[in-house]
Amino acid sequence: MSKTTKTIVRTLNLSKIYRRGKVNIQALNNVNLQVSSGEIVGIMGPSGSGKTTLLNLIGGLDRPTSGKVFVDGVDITTLGESELADYRLRKVGFVFQFYNLIPTLTALENVEVPLALAGVSKNERRERALSLLRMVGLEARADHKPDELSGGEQQRVAIARALANNPSIVLADEPTGDLDSKSATALMNLIKELNRKNGQTFIIVTHDPIVTQACTTIYTMRDGRIESA
Amino acid sequence: MFTWSLAIRNLRRRKLRTALTASGIVVGISMMLILLSLVSGMETQVRSMVRALGGADITVSNSTSFRDRAGGFFGFLPSPSTLDASIVNVLSGIPGVYALSPQYSFSGSINGRRVTIYGIEPASYEIVTGGLNIIEGRFLTENSAGEIVIGKALMEFLDLTLGQTVSLSSGQIGAERTFKVIGVFETGMVFQEYAAYIALADAQEITGESGRITHVLIKCEDPSIVSEVSSLISSAVPGVRVATPTIMVQQATNMLNTLTMFFATIGLVALFAGSFGVVNTMMMAVTERTREIGVLKAIGAKSHDIMKLFLTEALLIGLIGGGVGVLAGSILAHVFPMLVPGMFATGISPFGMRNPFSRPGTTNPMLGGTTTQTFRLVLPAITPMNVAICFSLGALVGILAGLYPAWRASRMKPVEALRHV
Ligand SMILES: Nc1ncnc2c1ncn2[C@@H]1O[C@H](COP(=O)(O)OP(=O)(O)O)[C@@H](O)[C@H]1O
Ligand SMILES: [Mg+2]
Repeated sequence: MSKTTKTIVRTLNLSKIYRRGKVNIQALNNVNLQVSSGEIVGIMGPSGSGKTTLLNLIGGLDRPTSGKVFVDGVDITTLGESELADYRLRKVGFVFQFYNLIPTLTALENVEVPLALAGVSKNERRERALSLLRMVGLEARADHKPDELSGGEQQRVAIARALANNPSIVLADEPTGDLDSKSATALMNLIKELNRKNGQTFIIVTHDPIVTQACTTIYTMRDGRIESA
Repeated sequence: MFTWSLAIRNLRRRKLRTALTASGIVVGISMMLILLSLVSGMETQVRSMVRALGGADITVSNSTSFRDRAGGFFGFLPSPSTLDASIVNVLSGIPGVYALSPQYSFSGSINGRRVTIYGIEPASYEIVTGGLNIIEGRFLTENSAGEIVIGKALMEFLDLTLGQTVSLSSGQIGAERTFKVIGVFETGMVFQEYAAYIALADAQEITGESGRITHVLIKCEDPSIVSEVSSLISSAVPGVRVATPTIMVQQATNMLNTLTMFFATIGLVALFAGSFGVVNTMMMAVTERTREIGVLKAIGAKSHDIMKLFLTEALLIGLIGGGVGVLAGSILAHVFPMLVPGMFATGISPFGMRNPFSRPGTTNPMLGGTTTQTFRLVLPAITPMNVAICFSLGALVGILAGLYPAWRASRMKPVEALRHV
């Protein structure tokens, strides 16, 4: 398998300072990270080291105090609110530790949400959502609500949702953090398969060896800096 | 997006809270519907009053209400007391009187159907009242002996056509006379159309009361002096009842306005309070679903998508409140008048239409003096328009009350919303 060397994500002196009362917390301190297209990047590091903050900045969920984030050559820190929302809708997919499915919607409908937001017609999105659920092995659970699914199943639905608009980057924040090892292994096998088939880039924050085994590159963060490659 | 299904499901998930919040709107909306319906109902009646009373500013009749002249016959309906026709000369001398028209109205039967017959002088009648709305043929003239103008509804009821002859009797003596139908009038109020107009002389002849009249209709020189003229008449001419329909209509209108203000105030206060309930509930919903908002934003929802989501929910509460409010209001609008009968006690004409302003014992000149008087209530008119207005008002309150919470939801920062537990 030939690995592409095209850079998809690059951060430039990325810093984020949170102000908590009179105290400033430097969550990120001049982070320079480069991710090539098709990589599965693992980000490790102790709690509070800035992993989530980094992921949020790459995903356009938050704005840095200073520095830039280039995605496919575009500095997303200069985008307006609406453009940033579009970036999140089409370019990246998010997977959270606690799945964060919408509790009132079925598995199928949860997967349909990003498609609906993107303006895909009802029939088309139903079909696409079903094929995504088939891909994560949950076609039979399409009409179940999140509270009728196991944690592993919910996380697979979340993956399907993240992939709905065929993003080039999937950002996952401790996706196996709440899963048993069997579900975690299944999830990572799925991610590897998706990566191989679709060439999607994954950036995964994790402590889990099951995850790190699947990663092509691993970074460790400490005190808002990337320590080792 | 899944705006509607999400809104419906979220409201269903909190049925009790949704019901309580919507009931806040229900109170205001039902008040509003009662208000609008009562106003509509009374407006119809005031309008019919105005029509029924014609343009006469003042009507003068004998102060003795009824006089039973039926004699030995089996309890015929009482006939109105009469006045000597010479009273017209006396009244015309009163300052401020512009025109007068004598009238003899009685309960007669046309082809066996008992209706109110008005004997009038066509020329002065037209001057004083502005005349009838003739839809076919023509009105009476100075030479209209043996001619009759009949209401549209009565024409249809008796299956008559223009030019036919009808037989008319006063019911007192039993003598019948034939009249030729020369005109048809329409008022829009069916009960008013169960009536007929003939020449005054014919009326006096049929009833055997030549030289007598039941009413004098008066037009004043100016509408503003009606009450002065009427008190002048009362003091100058003994033994007469002086009624001022236009003033009565004015009073009715005033009462209507007071009532409108009363309900509008209550309704608005209730709606205002109800809208605070919606604001409160929606703020709660926004707080509860902060994380969901964060997730939606993270996966690409724009601010206006979030705004739409919560506005739809508030709108739904408003629609539920509006719908139930319309239902509750419709029921209450019928119950309410019974709670305050004094306000709505009215006379009823023989045809089931209520006249809110005639007290029992009063003879209304245009309805004839022989109507059976009973107490009835104003019927609120729940028109489709009123229902539409109230329903939309519910929706509007929902949307307005949802604006602030929805705006709060829409401008949440995704990261902060996601950190919310
Ligand atoms: N919204 C915030 N406000 C204030 N401090 C924050 C906020 N988010 C994160 N931090 C702080 O920034 C630091 C890095 O946090 P985070 O990126 O969540 O670390 P990690 O994901 O590695 O545990 C921590 O000290 C955390 O307390
Ligand atoms: Mg974290």
